[in-house]
Amino acid sequence: MIELKRVSFAYANEDIIRDVNLTFGPGVTVVIGPNGSGKTTLLKLAAAIYRPRVGEVLIDGVNTWSAPETVRVSVRRNVVYVHEKPIMLRGSVADNVAYGLRIRNVPDDEVATRTEEALEALGIKHLAHEKAQTLSAGQQQKVALARALAVRPKNLLLDEPIASLDKSGREIFMELLREMVRKEVCVAMATHDRLLALQLMGRTIVVENKTATLIENPERIS
Amino acid sequence: MWQEVAEVVARSLLISGTATMLAAFWSIPVAMILTAKESEFRRVLLDLTNTLVAIPTVLVGLVLYLLLSRSGPLGFLGILYTPTSIVIGEAVLITPLIVSLSASVLRETRAGIWEMAVSIGATERQALVTMVTESLPRLMSVILIGFNRAIGELGVALMLGGNIKGLTRVMTTAIALEVSKGEFEFALALGGVLLFVTFLVTAIVRKVGKTA
Repeated sequence: MIELKRVSFAYANEDIIRDVNLTFGPGVTVVIGPNGSGKTTLLKLAAAIYRPRVGEVLIDGVNTWSAPETVRVSVRRNVVYVHEKPIMLRGSVADNVAYGLRIRNVPDDEVATRTEEALEALGIKHLAHEKAQTLSAGQQQKVALARALAVRPKNLLLDEPIASLDKSGREIFMELLREMVRKEVCVAMATHDRLLALQLMGRTIVVENKTATLIENPERIS
Repeated sequence: MWQEVAEVVARSLLISGTATMLAAFWSIPVAMILTAKESEFRRVLLDLTNTLVAIPTVLVGLVLYLLLSRSGPLGFLGILYTPTSIVIGEAVLITPLIVSLSASVLRETRAGIWEMAVSIGATERQALVTMVTESLPRLMSVILIGFNRAIGELGVALMLGGNIKGLTRVMTTAIALEVSKGEFEFALALGGVLLFVTFLVTAIVRKVGKTA
């Protein structure tokens, strides 16, 4: 679970997010809002990538930014944020998927098993030895999702995860999402796709006018 | 005569190669520090570095000459008019260039790779290592640009090396000497050799970088 308490964040001395109080709990939380409203910033604050100007970010009850570095890394490892534009490392698809496991010093045999599982879950096992940077945007999106799944996060923050996916990719993604909900993973997802937001029918956060409001019943959003 | 040319080419490669390695050794960590976090102080330092890229080679040569000459504060080292002084001079000369370009490469990588690494659970140190590893091909190009600047400069080599035959004569000082003697054809031929050598080094580094 991730809690944001009275969080404000500024770029170049101008507040983008102001005095936000939110909780990302188990299940799916959809984050919507117009372009430039701060959806990505909100997710990056929740992922403890951005440090808030004021306020607290609590991951699993730990105040991330006042905790010592070792504790911060440890709690942050329960959270994975997937970028809207997938960022691929040099090397193969398998290397990319294994990256999160390697930095956690997971033993080699387990890295291989979990990498294969993640690739299979996204339907990209056949791409394992391809160079990740040469793939299409949709394929790279799947690799980024596989990389996130491989580390089995308790909290998964997704920024426009289906923007580059085709129909079958979306179906795979929806199935994975259902699986994560079953496992009580806390999923937050920024999207422009209102249909997807309604399909998920989870909690919805509307980011607008530098603030974020939680709406429990998304059907009321027109 | 061609044996002397070969000797001068070898000396140029050795001096400029050593100077480039030396400059890269301290410039890339400095670039990493400059790009680690945004601050006004670091921005000023970067502006200063960018300005120093345009410093005339003869000015670097003069300052170092004054420092290294017998009556200068570093005169006791006794390295003026030795290959060592040219190595130091060229390393100093290309430092701002390598710092500036490396900072630019790393800043770009930081926006993507560093953030991705942190977002998947890397420590600050792991993220930094990933950032540098991923930037290696581009950093190699930066180092190569530094080498090309070093091997093609004249001011430092002339003022600190003195163009001593068999000791500090390098490609550029040899060309300058031939021009002063009115041997324009030979000077042009040496210029061609210099360009060819530089091209060869560039091709090899590019090939090695691709393989890596």
